[in-house]
Amino acid sequence: MPGPTSSWVCPPERTQIIENLVSGVGESKQTHLKGIRVVYCGSLDRYNPSNIGILEDYLYQQTRSEEYDCLANLAILKLYQFNPTLYNSDVVIHILIKALTSAPFPDFYLCVSLLDERPSSANADEPDPLPSILPQLQQLYALLQQCRFPAFWTLYLSEEYRVLREEYTVESVSFEDSVRKVVVRAVKAAFTKIGVKRLSSYFNLEETASEAFVSKLGWSIEDGVVIVPPNPDNQIQSTVVQETIALPRTFTSLLRILPHIPADGRVIELVKVITHAARTA
Amino acid sequence: MDGQRVAYWAAEAEVDEDLEDVDLNLAIGNFGQTDQYEDAKSHIDETTLLAVQQQMAQQAFAQIPDVVKRFIVHFYQAVQENNLAEISVSYESGWNRLTEKYYAKTEWPEAELIAPLVNDDPIFLILYRELYYRHVYSRLQPNLDDRFHSYENSCELFNYLLNSDGPVTLELPEQWLWDIVDEFIYQYQSFSVWRSKAGSKTEEELTSLGDGGQPWSSYSVLNVLYSLIQKSRVHEYINAVQEGKTQEEIGEVVGEFGSLPLYRMLGYFSILGLLRVHTMLGDFTLALKSMENVELNQKSSLTRVTACHVSTYYYVGFSYMMLRRYTDATRTFVTILNLILRMRQYHTRSYQYDQINKTADRMYALFAICNALSPSRLDDNILNIVKERFGEQVTKMSRGEEGIPAFEELFTYACPKFVAANPPPYEDADALAAYLEDTHIDPAQRHLKNFIADVRARLSVPTLRSFLKLYTSLGTKKLAGFLDTDEEEMVQQLMVLKQASRSIGRMGSEKGLLDGSTVSNNDLNFVIDENMVHITESTVGRRYAGWFIRNTEHAQRVYDGLKNSPLPLPIKPANTQPQQQPGQPQQSQPPAQVKTVAWGGVKTLG
Repeated sequence: MPGPTSSWVCPPERTQIIENLVSGVGESKQTHLKGIRVVYCGSLDRYNPSNIGILEDYLYQQTRSEEYDCLANLAILKLYQFNPTLYNSDVVIHILIKALTSAPFPDFYLCVSLLDERPSSANADEPDPLPSILPQLQQLYALLQQCRFPAFWTLYLSEEYRVLREEYTVESVSFEDSVRKVVVRAVKAAFTKIGVKRLSSYFNLEETASEAFVSKLGWSIEDGVVIVPPNPDNQIQSTVVQETIALPRTFTSLLRILPHIPADGRVIELVKVITHAARTA
Repeated sequence: MDGQRVAYWAAEAEVDEDLEDVDLNLAIGNFGQTDQYEDAKSHIDETTLLAVQQQMAQQAFAQIPDVVKRFIVHFYQAVQENNLAEISVSYESGWNRLTEKYYAKTEWPEAELIAPLVNDDPIFLILYRELYYRHVYSRLQPNLDDRFHSYENSCELFNYLLNSDGPVTLELPEQWLWDIVDEFIYQYQSFSVWRSKAGSKTEEELTSLGDGGQPWSSYSVLNVLYSLIQKSRVHEYINAVQEGKTQEEIGEVVGEFGSLPLYRMLGYFSILGLLRVHTMLGDFTLALKSMENVELNQKSSLTRVTACHVSTYYYVGFSYMMLRRYTDATRTFVTILNLILRMRQYHTRSYQYDQINKTADRMYALFAICNALSPSRLDDNILNIVKERFGEQVTKMSRGEEGIPAFEELFTYACPKFVAANPPPYEDADALAAYLEDTHIDPAQRHLKNFIADVRARLSVPTLRSFLKLYTSLGTKKLAGFLDTDEEEMVQQLMVLKQASRSIGRMGSEKGLLDGSTVSNNDLNFVIDENMVHITESTVGRRYAGWFIRNTEHAQRVYDGLKNSPLPLPIKPANTQPQQQPGQPQQSQPPAQVKTVAWGGVKTLG
């Protein structure tokens, strides 16, 4: 199994074009900088504002499916950071919604870190929704982080969060299921068995629906208790971590330290010296 | 009268010249005289002015101490001859010594002033200005002109290096090349911070900033770094070296620019520069991603310049911390802090010693944060130093909500300078006025808030962990009773604890810095079986190797001591020992006791 980061660094769905944008492979060209004398400029595609469309389309594709590509989305935020005129609050919100459920990666924080302060929107007719939505998302993210899943659902389904639900998360295909995946991840690591009732409160599903959900994962249910299959995180075993040091290394370092004691011959003398050292240490 | 006089002149001229000509000349001369007078007057003004200026310049020039002049000439010659050893001496010691002596509180002489000393050599003057402005930034308060001009000078330098017809033949010591890149980024950061404080700008500064031609834009800085990287093909170089290609093959891969140490090192340092710039802009992923090809180990080229080595580890460690990969961050800090400890004895004289020490102190603080969030026993030595320095904060950080201010304090102290990518709207007076009325959170505060959110999510972890340590199995109801919380709430906290004890971390074999696998970072492990918590603890067995190495070293000293000491007289010790034994029976016990203490020490070490 490849490490968990490999698909984070480069998800399998990412196309070559996007890969080029994200990893910044670009033709170097001679360009002029705004107002400043010419500097030889590797005009990297990653920083080229005209590529924003490609990345935004890719994000749209992500919201329409269960794909997710954090690094590509960070590239969008980077372009917004450098070119405030490109800024599109809907795109930002969708990126954050996608990042909300990307445990165990801290994508949400990473995205928020790139949201520079914006100059207060000049267009008063159409207020920027981000300032009101962002704190809500942060709140929800905090609850997920704290594994307070029932509280998450209560808050998410509250009247206050209606705008978020009806205008944003509704667009994001299977948002609720992706939250449930976060739950599955947390439960899988901590439990060997869990009551269906408790699990349902985490899933915000009826008990029968929860049972159906976990059976799809291959988990079995016995008398109202879900049995979580063994995995590296819910197997506990007391272990003694032993130091393993390859013999040659110890020997060579011994020999280096003690150049004038022949290693084969006077071992007894060496032992004596070490014993003496132990006494006087 | 006129006629007569003309006649008189004419008469005189008549001797050898044509009359008409003389007339003409005279007429012109007459007109010209007034003109000439005017001219002469203005000429005099100008010349006096020039003279005065020249005099002042001469005076200023004369005021330059001879030793400084000699230094500059010498320095220039060293650069002319590409004599790296001499350049290093001038750069690392000469410049700093003279700064201490003559320019501790004032600028060095302006480049124009010393130009005659160096044959007006444009390249040397650019390099001189580089030092001149660096001195202004570090010792004095740079004004608007300094900020703009230092930018122009950097651009000139990079233009010269990158846009000359072919690679330039200049050679500079690696330390200086690192400093050029480092200082370029520092000045960018300094400018960005200064620029973002819109409230305290003078009229003149506002006009200049509103003028559009923005120096030090993030784009231009990144451009320089990326250009240096591309021109030198340093990524290709690193890959080729890692693939074990021959010198010839490498030469083919990197081309004419990349073959020269100047370009290769500038390219290399630019990668590290990107790490820093991206970190300052809050893009921690990209920061580590740009380091993709650089190997962080003791053999890598970055170790050749200590300041660069230390700075790189600081930014890598910090970025890991912001990616919430605390184990990786801890490991990064431990590596470099140990190195600094070991280097201490050699580096006290270096002019960068202070800077390195400051960075080290900040890394101890960051280590304290990481260790509070994800305790590890990676290095007891570093941990002890941290406890010595930040003992109070370390204690507080394990106390839940109460510890938040301690996290904030350490983070604020130890984080890098963050910058905003964009300036306040200086070009638009109305927007600027509106901007000034809003309250603004500076970037460091935003990142702090962001970080503390994660800390808050893990607040219950230390308490819960210390409770679990006492049991091998325990009902959830009982545990909730101990903690005085709701049972469901507590079960959720247990899941947090579980997540906190797993993290993404490098196992050692990964290539890029972003790669890693899930690792367990705590000895305590537990699992919930419906309503029962089962707990186990992993213990680390005795560690023999370190003990043996230490004692072998000790043995060597003892052995050497024995060999070098004169032979004792054989009878005397035999006599004294039995005498002591009956008299003081306790005395005979200590050797045995010492022995157990020494072995007991091993147990605690394990």
